[in-house]
Amino acid sequence: MTEYLDPTDSVAVPRKTAPRPASLDGKVVTLLDISKAQGNHLLDRLEELLRERATPKAIIRKKKPTFARPAPDVLRQEIVGATDVVVEGLAD
Amino acid sequence: MSPVERDLAHAIESLYARGVTDGLPVVPPTRALVERAVAASGREAGELVALVPPNYGRATVEKIAINAVMAGCRPEYLPVVIAAVDAVCDEAFDLHGVSATTNAPSPLVIVNGPIRGPLEINSGAGVFGSGWRANATIGRAVRLVCVNLGGARPGVVSMSTLAHPGRYTYCIGEHEEASPWESLAVEHGFAPEQSTVALLAADAPLGVYAQRSRTPEDLLPTLAASMAVISHHKMTHWGDTLVVLSPEHAKILGAAGWKKADVRRWLHERLQWPVCELVPGHNGGEGLPEHVLAKFAHPAAERAMIPKFRSPENIKLVVAGGTAGRFSAIVPGWTFSKGSNLVFRRVLS
Repeated sequence: MTEYLDPTDSVAVPRKTAPRPASLDGKVVTLLDISKAQGNHLLDRLEELLRERATPKAIIRKKKPTFARPAPDVLRQEIVGATDVVVEGLAD
Repeated sequence: MSPVERDLAHAIESLYARGVTDGLPVVPPTRALVERAVAASGREAGELVALVPPNYGRATVEKIAINAVMAGCRPEYLPVVIAAVDAVCDEAFDLHGVSATTNAPSPLVIVNGPIRGPLEINSGAGVFGSGWRANATIGRAVRLVCVNLGGARPGVVSMSTLAHPGRYTYCIGEHEEASPWESLAVEHGFAPEQSTVALLAADAPLGVYAQRSRTPEDLLPTLAASMAVISHHKMTHWGDTLVVLSPEHAKILGAAGWKKADVRRWLHERLQWPVCELVPGHNGGEGLPEHVLAKFAHPAAERAMIPKFRSPENIKLVVAGGTAGRFSAIVPGWTFSKGSNLVFRRVLS
């Protein structure tokens, strides 16, 4: 059988999602606004519901400078170091 | 079925099964074909050209060559494909956003310089159309690299709501010989004897029929009216966008003594509207974003003018297409503030 070379790169495989927590109680939750129009409305409502229905240790709000580009490293490090759960809000 | 036919059918189907095509069959990348393409690049197989967002696969010369062979490239196209891959992976191009967005952009390759001749890159009749191997396969190779090394699989990472046919291939040459002006590349600091690629994250071309125009004063308002609707009719502060003038249209402007800079200034000045016409809900739900509206006490009565394009320099003029026909095209960039920009690379061969 003829050999065909691989057009992909083994490092570029899709990432696995992190395990989901069973409960948000006692967790630090970061709500990340990606800077799309009205994303804040969605996240405001989510924050309200989270406070109503769970007892997170804290809810932190963060914002990307633009939805068009990945979050800057500094912002990512801030989130990674300080949170258990991230919710990213797409909008429009 | 003969053994040869069985092998061929197996090759085509197994590459489909591996999920590495763009929906059309690809040329099976055998070691011999890939080695020939690498040799034609004049570079080492293992040389790293770029990391391809968003998954940051390593685009070595060999990996680019594999994708170029699959796209149907002749070996001598490799230097152009490599330059184009290098350009899309430039931070300024924002391939991460281009590949992942729900919007529709695709990298458009614009080739300038002498390499258009020997590679037979079409810059004339039917420039955006089918029938030219170099245009068809160079653009396709860039797409396959974005998918196979960048991870931009439709519906998985690439979440474009509509996309457009340029996601199969999108590559044109500038018809420099039919232009009254310096080329796009020369305008951006390259020498006429250098060959370059310019990469624009671009929506599909919108044709502008201006057959009765004989003067700049006829032609420019017609072009401007089509540029006004880029993204939507109330979008402002837009960035790099391509105006592809047919040779006949370019001749009208050149013969009247208009330089490229004059055309850009005219269009930029024409494409401005007062704040009161850009308020969301007035003539359509789109409009100025909240942080801009917040600068004015009474936006609904405000007459300050807001431009469609951030600066005249964002309006990029290229001459292309057949020498008969008064048709031009607007190719909208995906270039809102902090988004993508036009990126150049020299073709090294």
